[in-house]
Amino acid sequence: MGEVIVITSGKGGVGKTTTTANLGTGLCLLGKKVALLDTDIGLRNLDVVMGLENRIVYDLVDVVEGVCRIKQALIKDKRYDGLYLLPAAQTRDKNSVTPNQMLKLCDDLREEFDYIIVDCPAGIEQGFKNAIAGADRAIVITTPEVSAVRDADRIIGLLEANEIRKPLLLINRVRPVMVKKGDMMSIEDIIDILAIDLIGVVPDDENIIISTNRGEPAVTEDKSLAGQAYRNVAKRIMGEEVPLIDLSGQDGFLAKVKKLFGFRSA
Amino acid sequence: MKDETNKITFKGTAEGLVIIIPEQMDTDLVIKQIGNKVKAAEKFFRGAKLKVLYRGKELTEQEEEKLKDVMVKNSGVIIESINYELYEPPIVEEKHTQASGIPFRHIFFKGLDEGPCKFVRGTIRSGTRVLYEGNVVIIGDANPGSEIVASGNVIVMGALRGMVHAGADGNRQAIVVALKLSPTQLRIGDIITRCPDIPEEIQSRPEMATVKDGVIYVEPL
Repeated sequence: MGEVIVITSGKGGVGKTTTTANLGTGLCLLGKKVALLDTDIGLRNLDVVMGLENRIVYDLVDVVEGVCRIKQALIKDKRYDGLYLLPAAQTRDKNSVTPNQMLKLCDDLREEFDYIIVDCPAGIEQGFKNAIAGADRAIVITTPEVSAVRDADRIIGLLEANEIRKPLLLINRVRPVMVKKGDMMSIEDIIDILAIDLIGVVPDDENIIISTNRGEPAVTEDKSLAGQAYRNVAKRIMGEEVPLIDLSGQDGFLAKVKKLFGFRSA
Repeated sequence: MKDETNKITFKGTAEGLVIIIPEQMDTDLVIKQIGNKVKAAEKFFRGAKLKVLYRGKELTEQEEEKLKDVMVKNSGVIIESINYELYEPPIVEEKHTQASGIPFRHIFFKGLDEGPCKFVRGTIRSGTRVLYEGNVVIIGDANPGSEIVASGNVIVMGALRGMVHAGADGNRQAIVVALKLSPTQLRIGDIITRCPDIPEEIQSRPEMATVKDGVIYVEPL
């Protein structure tokens, strides 16, 4: 029986879709059978980030409406075996699906896959309710910004109200130099406010933008620091104990040289 | 639904009479209902020799006897045998009946050369679907994430970057023309194709997509 993990944040643009793509790919690289589920109906992105947009024939709404079977709608990844995407519909809206239908869909997928990673839309309305309906666990994404942390706090409350216990926190786009200068909230500050367990910290990384635009998750790039962070998070999801990457000293001279190399070779 | 679960169906086949009994139905009710049904068609049954098969609920031998009695008594039918038949619903071979909004048909849209046509002015943006029973002309661009579905031809006087389905009722004779033809996905009739993953050099000349021998070809106009 597989596990359904929802990636959510409340606020938009903090990296839910990027995280979903990277964690899914990361878990697949660790030998698991993974399904990515895009619930952002009407504003789908996960297919673009995965570079699978041109393969879509059927989508999530077709599955719940019985137009096709789940297997027909699942898109096999072009690079990795064992990684599948169930895309959202683009020409419909969030009300095309109900939480009960999502629950059933998640239960059906559970039989086939080890992990089902659900990409949740921004907001706390119907789309959010659909996304969390079938979830066993939740990963809450935030960036070190007051507004994102505020929204994350709201989301944690809603998750707990919906019986999804112990959501995990992933802090995205951390810039250690700014934290050091006191211009950005530190990891400790955020954990202090949100009071949930941390599953990972992902540094701000230009490679993410490049890889997202290319449709290739950064987790596969050895040189990318964010990719490394996502690989570690994937291991932690599987229960492995991995220490946080030491981000201090990054953005220094050495990192700049590294970045230059990474940029050239990319 | 209640009617469905409590309804006995009679079917005449080459082998005889088939009675379909809902599985959760009460046996007394079954016998009573069959009795009534047979009585209603007394004239039809009288004197006829029948082999009876029944599906669904399995009956004991006594119950089978009872059933036989009630049928004979109510209509004067002669029952040669009565047997249970294990019946599994046939597995329906699934076909792509519909890929993008217009169902596949046996008779295609006839107006490929001359017929109804829809004109759309302006950019077709992501999340918009143009669905039409006929030919479609877009005067503008079609962006990624948009869908154009037509039972006839599709002409885009601009850049076609979204999904397009011409001959959406299954007609492979339909064509797609665009000033810049680079769709996320191109479908004609029941054939689906997509651009190669490695982007080719960007050309900006008008192109036409047609189907030849079951393959979609794209050629400059």
